[in-house]
Amino acid sequence: MSDFNASGINVLIVEDNLHFRTLIRTILKTVGFENVEEARDGVEAFEVLSSFEAHLAIIDWKMDGQDGLECVRRIRTDEDSPNKYLPIIMVTGYTEESLAKAARDVGVNDFLGKPISAKSLMSSIVSVFEDKRDFIDCAHYFGPDRRRSQQEFKGEERRKGVSKKTG
Amino acid sequence: MSDDDTVNVIKPPDTLSSKVSKGGPGAVDLAAIERAESVIANMADDYLDWVEDDLVKIANAQKELKANRDKSEEYLDKVFQVAHDMKGQGGSFGYDLMTILGNDLCRFIEGKKTASDVDIEVIDLYISTMQIVISKRMSGDGGPAGNEVLTGLAAVVAKITS
Repeated sequence: MSDFNASGINVLIVEDNLHFRTLIRTILKTVGFENVEEARDGVEAFEVLSSFEAHLAIIDWKMDGQDGLECVRRIRTDEDSPNKYLPIIMVTGYTEESLAKAARDVGVNDFLGKPISAKSLMSSIVSVFEDKRDFIDCAHYFGPDRRRSQQEFKGEERRKGVSKKTG
Repeated sequence: MSDDDTVNVIKPPDTLSSKVSKGGPGAVDLAAIERAESVIANMADDYLDWVEDDLVKIANAQKELKANRDKSEEYLDKVFQVAHDMKGQGGSFGYDLMTILGNDLCRFIEGKKTASDVDIEVIDLYISTMQIVISKRMSGDGGPAGNEVLTGLAAVVAKITS
Protein backbone atom coordinates (compact mmCIF):
# COMPACT_ATOMS: atom_id res chain seq x y z
CA MET A 1 0.00 0.00 0.00
CA SER A 2 1.77 3.12 -1.14
CA ASP A 3 0.45 6.64 -1.74
CA PHE A 4 -2.61 6.03 0.44
CA ASN A 5 -4.80 8.81 1.77
CA ALA A 6 -4.78 8.86 5.56
CA SER A 7 -7.34 11.57 6.20
CA GLY A 8 -10.15 9.13 7.06
CA ILE A 9 -8.12 7.06 9.50
CA ASN A 10 -8.61 7.72 13.19
CA VAL A 11 -5.53 7.18 15.33
CA LEU A 12 -5.19 6.96 19.10
CA ILE A 13 -1.80 7.68 20.67
CA VAL A 14 -1.34 6.25 24.17
CA GLU A 15 1.83 7.68 25.70
CA ASP A 16 2.56 9.25 29.07
CA ASN A 17 5.41 11.44 27.86
CA LEU A 18 4.15 14.72 26.40
CA HIS A 19 7.20 15.10 24.15
CA PHE A 20 6.73 11.70 22.54
CA ARG A 21 3.04 12.39 22.06
CA THR A 22 3.92 15.68 20.39
CA LEU A 23 6.47 13.95 18.17
CA ILE A 24 4.08 11.19 17.04
CA ARG A 25 1.17 13.60 16.57
CA THR A 26 3.36 15.95 14.51
CA ILE A 27 4.45 13.14 12.20
CA LEU A 28 0.89 11.87 11.76
CA LYS A 29 -0.59 15.30 11.15
CA THR A 30 2.13 16.26 8.69
CA VAL A 31 1.63 13.15 6.55
CA GLY A 32 -2.14 13.66 6.50
CA PHE A 33 -3.81 11.88 9.43
CA GLU A 34 -6.48 14.36 10.42
CA ASN A 35 -8.13 12.60 13.34
CA VAL A 36 -5.64 11.95 16.11
CA GLU A 37 -6.60 11.57 19.76
CA GLU A 38 -4.31 11.14 22.75
CA ALA A 39 -4.36 9.32 26.08
CA ARG A 40 -1.78 9.29 28.84
CA ASP A 41 -2.18 5.70 29.99
CA GLY A 42 -4.27 2.57 29.52
CA VAL A 43 -7.14 3.74 31.67
CA GLU A 44 -7.45 7.01 29.78
CA ALA A 45 -7.16 5.09 26.49
CA PHE A 46 -10.28 3.11 27.36
CA GLU A 47 -12.12 6.33 28.16
CA VAL A 48 -11.14 7.84 24.80
CA LEU A 49 -12.02 4.65 22.92
CA SER A 50 -15.54 4.73 24.34
CA SER A 51 -16.31 7.80 22.23
CA PHE A 52 -13.63 7.74 19.50
CA GLU A 53 -13.74 5.04 16.86
CA ALA A 54 -10.01 4.43 16.43
CA HIS A 55 -8.79 2.49 13.41
CA LEU A 56 -5.26 2.27 14.75
CA ALA A 57 -3.65 2.63 18.18
CA ILE A 58 -0.02 3.52 18.82
CA ILE A 59 0.73 2.51 22.39
CA ASP A 60 3.85 3.06 24.48
CA TRP A 61 4.96 0.16 26.63
CA LYS A 62 6.24 1.81 29.77
CA MET A 63 3.83 4.38 31.18
CA ASP A 64 3.03 5.78 34.58
CA GLY A 65 -0.42 4.47 35.43
CA GLN A 66 -1.66 1.50 33.43
CA ASP A 67 1.17 0.39 31.16
CA GLY A 68 1.06 -0.54 27.49
CA LEU A 69 1.03 -4.31 27.90
CA GLU A 70 -1.95 -4.17 30.24
CA CYS A 71 -3.70 -1.70 27.94
CA VAL A 72 -3.28 -4.05 24.94
CA ARG A 73 -4.36 -7.04 26.99
CA ARG A 74 -7.54 -5.20 28.00
CA ILE A 75 -8.29 -4.08 24.44
CA ARG A 76 -7.92 -7.66 23.23
CA THR A 77 -9.74 -9.49 25.98
CA ASP A 78 -11.96 -7.27 28.16
CA GLU A 79 -15.67 -7.91 27.85
CA ASP A 80 -16.27 -4.17 27.49
CA SER A 81 -13.47 -3.60 24.94
CA PRO A 82 -14.73 -1.24 22.21
CA ASN A 83 -12.77 -3.10 19.52
CA LYS A 84 -10.91 -6.34 20.20
CA TYR A 85 -9.51 -6.34 16.67
CA LEU A 86 -8.04 -2.82 16.83
CA PRO A 87 -4.71 -2.74 14.97
CA ILE A 88 -2.01 -1.89 17.53
CA ILE A 89 1.58 -0.73 17.20
CA MET A 90 3.61 -0.88 20.41
CA VAL A 91 6.31 1.78 20.60
CA THR A 92 9.08 1.34 23.12
CA GLY A 93 12.68 2.00 23.97
CA TYR A 94 12.92 -1.62 25.13
CA THR A 95 13.86 -3.49 21.98
CA GLU A 96 15.21 -6.75 23.36
CA GLU A 97 13.84 -9.83 21.63
CA SER A 98 12.32 -11.18 24.87
CA LEU A 99 10.34 -7.97 25.25
CA ALA A 100 9.20 -8.01 21.64
CA LYS A 101 7.93 -11.53 22.34
CA ALA A 102 6.05 -10.31 25.43
CA ALA A 103 4.39 -7.64 23.27
CA ARG A 104 3.42 -10.22 20.64
CA ASP A 105 2.04 -12.45 23.40
CA VAL A 106 -0.50 -9.81 24.45
CA GLY A 107 -1.57 -9.35 20.83
CA VAL A 108 0.17 -6.34 19.28
CA ASN A 109 0.31 -6.18 15.48
CA ASP A 110 3.72 -4.54 15.30
CA PHE A 111 6.54 -3.46 17.58
CA LEU A 112 8.51 -0.26 16.94
CA GLY A 113 11.70 0.69 18.76
CA LYS A 114 12.53 4.24 19.83
CA PRO A 115 13.96 6.54 18.68
CA ILE A 116 11.39 6.76 15.94
CA SER A 117 11.49 8.72 12.69
CA ALA A 118 8.72 9.64 10.27
CA LYS A 119 10.01 6.90 8.01
CA SER A 120 10.10 4.16 10.67
CA LEU A 121 6.66 5.11 12.02
CA MET A 122 5.07 5.19 8.57
CA SER A 123 6.73 1.93 7.62
CA SER A 124 5.22 0.32 10.72
CA ILE A 125 1.78 1.81 9.97
CA VAL A 126 1.84 0.56 6.38
CA SER A 127 2.89 -2.89 7.57
CA VAL A 128 -0.08 -2.94 9.99
CA PHE A 129 -2.47 -1.80 7.25
CA GLU A 130 -1.23 -4.62 5.05
CA ASP A 131 -1.41 -7.11 7.89
CA LYS A 132 -4.09 -9.58 6.86
CA ARG A 133 -3.40 -12.14 9.55
CA ASP A 134 -6.25 -14.07 11.10
CA PHE A 135 -6.91 -13.67 14.79
CA ILE A 136 -6.37 -16.60 17.10
CA ASP A 137 -8.69 -17.15 20.03
CA CYS A 138 -7.59 -19.83 22.47
CA ALA A 139 -7.32 -20.33 26.22
CA HIS A 140 -4.19 -18.23 26.69
CA TYR A 141 -4.18 -15.86 23.74
CA PHE A 142 -6.40 -13.56 21.72
CA GLY A 143 -4.79 -11.57 18.96
CA PRO A 144 -3.21 -11.69 15.51
CA ASP A 145 -1.73 -15.03 14.53
CA ARG A 146 1.80 -14.88 15.92
CA ARG A 147 3.13 -16.67 12.85
CA ARG A 148 3.81 -13.76 10.46
CA SER A 149 3.54 -15.81 7.29
CA GLN A 150 -0.01 -16.67 6.30
CA GLN A 151 0.55 -19.62 4.01
CA GLU A 152 -2.42 -21.84 3.49
CA PHE A 153 -1.86 -25.21 5.12
CA LYS A 154 -2.92 -28.00 2.83
CA GLY A 155 -2.27 -30.92 5.16
CA GLU A 156 -4.44 -32.45 7.84
CA GLU A 157 -5.38 -30.00 10.66
CA ARG A 158 -4.06 -31.61 13.83
CA ARG A 159 -4.44 -28.70 16.26
CA LYS A 160 -7.09 -29.65 18.75
CA GLY A 161 -10.51 -28.13 18.24
CA VAL A 162 -9.54 -25.66 15.49
CA SER A 163 -12.50 -23.86 13.98
CA LYS A 164 -12.74 -20.97 11.48
CA LYS A 165 -14.94 -17.95 12.14
CA THR A 166 -15.49 -14.47 10.83
CA GLY A 167 -15.01 -11.65 13.35
CA MET B 1 -10.54 -15.78 25.19
CA SER B 2 -11.66 -19.37 24.90
CA ASP B 3 -11.65 -21.09 28.26
CA ASP B 4 -10.97 -24.62 27.02
CA ASP B 5 -8.65 -26.30 24.50
CA THR B 6 -10.56 -24.92 21.53
CA VAL B 7 -8.60 -22.80 19.05
CA ASN B 8 -10.75 -20.46 16.98
CA VAL B 9 -9.24 -18.89 13.88
CA ILE B 10 -11.12 -15.65 13.22
CA LYS B 11 -11.09 -13.47 10.15
CA PRO B 12 -11.02 -9.96 11.71
CA PRO B 13 -13.39 -7.32 10.31
CA ASP B 14 -11.60 -5.23 7.68
CA THR B 15 -12.43 -1.75 8.93
CA LEU B 16 -9.46 -0.08 7.28
CA SER B 17 -10.11 -0.84 3.61
CA SER B 18 -13.17 1.38 3.52
CA LYS B 19 -11.29 4.22 5.26
CA VAL B 20 -8.14 4.16 3.19
CA SER B 21 -8.25 5.59 -0.29
CA LYS B 22 -5.43 5.44 -2.78
CA GLY B 23 -3.51 8.47 -3.99
CA GLY B 24 -5.10 11.87 -4.56
CA PRO B 25 -4.32 15.16 -2.88
CA GLY B 26 -2.84 14.63 0.57
CA ALA B 27 -1.68 11.09 -0.17
CA VAL B 28 1.00 9.67 2.10
CA ASP B 29 3.92 9.28 -0.27
CA LEU B 30 7.66 9.66 -0.02
CA ALA B 31 7.34 13.45 -0.34
CA ALA B 32 4.92 13.56 2.63
CA ILE B 33 7.30 11.47 4.73
CA GLU B 34 10.21 13.71 3.80
CA ARG B 35 8.08 16.71 4.74
CA ALA B 36 7.44 15.14 8.14
CA GLU B 37 11.17 14.43 8.60
CA SER B 38 11.85 18.06 7.85
CA VAL B 39 9.18 19.27 10.32
CA ILE B 40 10.77 17.06 13.00
CA ALA B 41 14.22 18.44 12.17
CA ASN B 42 12.81 21.93 12.65
CA MET B 43 11.63 20.91 16.11
CA ALA B 44 15.25 20.59 17.30
CA ASP B 45 14.87 23.82 19.30
CA ASP B 46 11.85 22.37 21.09
CA TYR B 47 13.85 19.23 21.74
CA LEU B 48 16.66 21.26 23.29
CA ASP B 49 14.16 22.82 25.71
CA TRP B 50 12.71 19.41 26.56
CA VAL B 51 16.09 17.79 27.05
CA GLU B 52 17.19 20.63 29.34
CA ASP B 53 14.22 19.70 31.53
CA ASP B 54 15.26 16.04 31.37
CA LEU B 55 18.82 16.95 32.35
CA VAL B 56 17.47 18.76 35.41
CA LYS B 57 15.23 15.78 36.20
CA ILE B 58 18.04 13.23 35.93
CA ALA B 59 20.39 15.40 38.01
CA ASN B 60 17.70 15.70 40.69
CA ALA B 61 17.07 11.96 40.65
CA GLN B 62 20.81 11.38 41.04
CA LYS B 63 20.91 13.87 43.92
CA GLU B 64 18.10 11.95 45.62
CA LEU B 65 19.93 8.69 45.01
CA LYS B 66 23.01 10.05 46.75
CA ALA B 67 20.95 11.32 49.70
CA ASN B 68 18.90 8.11 50.07
CA ARG B 69 21.31 5.25 49.63
CA ASP B 70 19.01 3.01 51.70
CA LYS B 71 16.40 3.44 48.95
CA SER B 72 18.84 2.95 46.09
CA GLU B 73 16.55 0.73 44.02
CA GLU B 74 13.78 3.33 43.98
CA TYR B 75 16.07 6.20 42.97
CA LEU B 76 18.07 4.13 40.50
CA ASP B 77 14.75 3.47 38.81
CA LYS B 78 14.05 7.21 38.66
CA VAL B 79 17.44 7.84 37.03
CA PHE B 80 16.75 4.92 34.68
CA GLN B 81 13.35 6.26 33.60
CA VAL B 82 14.71 9.68 32.65
CA ALA B 83 17.71 8.13 30.86
CA HIS B 84 15.30 5.87 29.02
CA ASP B 85 13.22 8.81 27.83
CA MET B 86 16.37 10.62 26.74
CA LYS B 87 17.50 7.54 24.84
CA GLY B 88 14.16 7.39 23.04
CA GLN B 89 14.07 11.05 22.07
CA GLY B 90 17.64 11.96 21.13
CA GLY B 91 17.85 10.14 17.80
CA SER B 92 14.41 11.32 16.70
CA PHE B 93 15.66 14.92 16.79
CA GLY B 94 19.12 14.31 15.39
CA TYR B 95 20.93 13.95 18.73
CA ASP B 96 22.16 10.40 18.24
CA LEU B 97 24.81 10.73 20.96
CA MET B 98 22.05 11.27 23.52
CA THR B 99 20.45 8.02 22.41
CA ILE B 100 23.79 6.20 22.73
CA LEU B 101 24.53 7.70 26.17
CA GLY B 102 20.95 7.14 27.41
CA ASN B 103 21.06 3.55 26.24
CA ASP B 104 24.47 2.88 27.83
CA LEU B 105 23.36 4.44 31.11
CA CYS B 106 20.19 2.33 31.13
CA ARG B 107 22.25 -0.81 30.45
CA PHE B 108 24.58 0.16 33.33
CA ILE B 109 21.74 0.67 35.81
CA GLU B 110 19.56 -2.22 34.65
CA GLY B 111 19.28 -4.98 37.23
CA LYS B 112 21.01 -3.02 40.01
CA LYS B 113 19.23 -3.08 43.35
CA THR B 114 21.86 -1.08 45.21
CA ALA B 115 24.25 1.67 44.21
CA SER B 116 27.91 1.48 45.22
CA ASP B 117 30.18 4.53 45.36
CA VAL B 118 31.60 3.45 42.00
CA ASP B 119 28.11 3.15 40.52
CA ILE B 120 27.30 6.67 41.69
CA GLU B 121 30.52 7.95 40.15
CA VAL B 122 29.75 6.27 36.81
CA ILE B 123 26.21 7.69 36.75
CA ASP B 124 27.66 11.15 37.50
CA LEU B 125 29.98 10.74 34.52
CA TYR B 126 27.14 9.83 32.17
CA ILE B 127 25.04 12.76 33.34
CA SER B 128 27.87 15.25 32.94
CA THR B 129 28.68 13.82 29.50
CA MET B 130 25.06 14.26 28.43
CA GLN B 131 25.18 17.84 29.72
CA ILE B 132 28.27 18.47 27.58
CA VAL B 133 26.65 16.98 24.46
CA ILE B 134 23.66 19.30 24.84
CA SER B 135 25.54 22.42 25.89
CA LYS B 136 27.90 22.03 22.93
CA ARG B 137 24.97 21.16 20.62
CA MET B 138 26.70 17.98 19.46
CA SER B 139 24.05 16.78 17.05
CA GLY B 140 24.34 13.66 14.90
CA ASP B 141 27.32 11.55 15.91
CA GLY B 142 29.07 14.70 17.09
CA GLY B 143 31.90 14.26 14.57
CA PRO B 144 35.46 13.77 15.90
CA ALA B 145 34.55 15.59 19.14
CA GLY B 146 31.62 13.22 19.66
CA ASN B 147 33.85 10.24 19.12
CA GLU B 148 36.33 11.69 21.60
CA VAL B 149 33.57 12.17 24.19
CA LEU B 150 32.38 8.55 23.84
CA THR B 151 35.83 6.96 23.88
CA GLY B 152 36.93 9.22 26.76
CA LEU B 153 33.86 8.24 28.78
CA ALA B 154 34.32 4.54 28.04
CA ALA B 155 37.97 4.73 29.16
CA VAL B 156 37.12 6.49 32.45
CA VAL B 157 34.23 4.12 33.18
CA ALA B 158 36.50 1.12 32.48
CA LYS B 159 39.15 2.53 34.79
CA ILE B 160 36.91 3.23 37.77
CA THR B 161 34.93 0.01 37.47
CA SER B 162 37.98 -2.23 37.10
